[in-house]
Amino acid sequence: MIEILTVARPAPTVFDGTANTVAVVVLLLEFGMLRASLFGAQVRLYAAQSVAVSVLAGVVAVGRGVPELFILAALSLLLKAVIVPLVMMGQLRDSRAEIAGSGSLGVASEVIISILVAAFGFFAVGALGIHSEVLPAAALSLSMAVVLVSFVLMILRRDVISQAIGFFSLENGVSMASLVIAAGLPLILEVAFLFDLLVAVVVFGVLIRVQSDRTKSFSTVALDRLRG
Amino acid sequence: MLTLPLPVIQALQVATVVFASPGITGVISQVEARMQGRRGPRILQPYYDLAKLFRKESLAPLHSGPFFLLAPVLAFACYLTVPMLIPVLTTYALPLGNMGDILGGGIILAFASFMVATAAAETGDPYAQLGASRAKTFGAITEPVVLLVVFTVALVTSTDLPYVLAATVTSGPDQLVRPAHLLASAALFMVILYETGRIPIETHTGTIELGMIEEARPFEHSGPYYALLKWGSSAKQLIFYTLFLNVFAAPWGLASTRELGDVLFAIVALIAKAIVVGIVVSVIDNTFAKLRLFRITEFVSAAFLLAVLAIFTLYLGGG
Repeated sequence: MIEILTVARPAPTVFDGTANTVAVVVLLLEFGMLRASLFGAQVRLYAAQSVAVSVLAGVVAVGRGVPELFILAALSLLLKAVIVPLVMMGQLRDSRAEIAGSGSLGVASEVIISILVAAFGFFAVGALGIHSEVLPAAALSLSMAVVLVSFVLMILRRDVISQAIGFFSLENGVSMASLVIAAGLPLILEVAFLFDLLVAVVVFGVLIRVQSDRTKSFSTVALDRLRG
Repeated sequence: MLTLPLPVIQALQVATVVFASPGITGVISQVEARMQGRRGPRILQPYYDLAKLFRKESLAPLHSGPFFLLAPVLAFACYLTVPMLIPVLTTYALPLGNMGDILGGGIILAFASFMVATAAAETGDPYAQLGASRAKTFGAITEPVVLLVVFTVALVTSTDLPYVLAATVTSGPDQLVRPAHLLASAALFMVILYETGRIPIETHTGTIELGMIEEARPFEHSGPYYALLKWGSSAKQLIFYTLFLNVFAAPWGLASTRELGDVLFAIVALIAKAIVVGIVVSVIDNTFAKLRLFRITEFVSAAFLLAVLAIFTLYLGGG
């Protein structure tokens, strides 16, 4: 019988592994937005991503004993996973325009570009050597990747829905980063950020509405035709 | 209790895969039919089909060379070799188990697929050639995903022996929840959907030649040769399921001793686990639509993304 050597690369602890997995899910949902072809699907992806961020806050609250994060998790779940999607859907209910194929590149090339950009974010932040007491440093790198991929989403997709959702999901990436760096941030500040987002959602919703009423489409390609 | 000699266990690994695989195919088509509200074929139908085909005469197209008839036999021999390399029944490596790593198994599987494609190219039948050329084209873009999955395994275990990864996965919950492991398993599962010709890549039971990849290749074979190709594709499916289950997702229920009872239990456990994967695959089959041919790259790029992220998180120390 041949003996097996188990020289494994040291695994992170169960808590770190879980937190990193949730952070990876947030990033994967961001990638999913690159290919979403219906505006409902785009909003649902955003809602799912917000749920994942709230779950991460919950994981930190349980694992590290920071009870005020429960309040933050509940608030962000309510606001970002329920109210924002409802507001978006409500404002655009009667619009029949599609966002399929609004990418300026093929989906596979967009994914490859995003992988490169995400890799840059990963290793740039990893090289800073920031250590956090509550979350593993990989989660910070992952949130940087979320922010950068949301930039790619806003740049490459030429429809207002994806660009607005890209902006909102950028906020998801930032709030994930704030969980790593400043989990003990005073609750009032975090809540203030959340309500800032709500204002942004309403403003964006109105702008999207005006745009789709004028051009009968969500595409931003037609925007330069409005001049004069 | 009876203690089995190691070569017998090794032979049992091969026998389990070869003789259980048509049954797994039968269960999947039965489950799929039930979900669509049909009664479906009997679970044992694939065995009857094979028995019938082995009794039929076989024809070869005019001008096809000897390789046309040799390829199904050689491909089947490849599928018999791979179960010796991967943990089918045991947690410990069997005497021939260390003669190849995961890459070795992958090369043998790719060789089998190459021979089937070459035989298809020799027929002159446009559909068989279409299938062969598509299989090779998309094979070339799924290959990097497989390589990255192997690299992930290598980074996690510092070897690329499948037995070691299985032992690592069972060693504790921290190995299970690590993102690298989950991402690599998910990427491998997507590759398996591709390799076994399931939705969203192709319809398994359809007769629409223009969408076919795997199914089109044996169009010109008949009789025992066709039976070997069909049997081989079932065996390949169970080999991939075994690789996914016993190395990545659920390496539990394997025999850790040489006792007869343990080995028998391992056989039953493997078949049960493979049926569970088969049910998941048929749910996917019934939930999603087939992708258009040129969108298969999107599917593969998603699998590639998962595998790349697995490596990234490992390098950052978080995987």
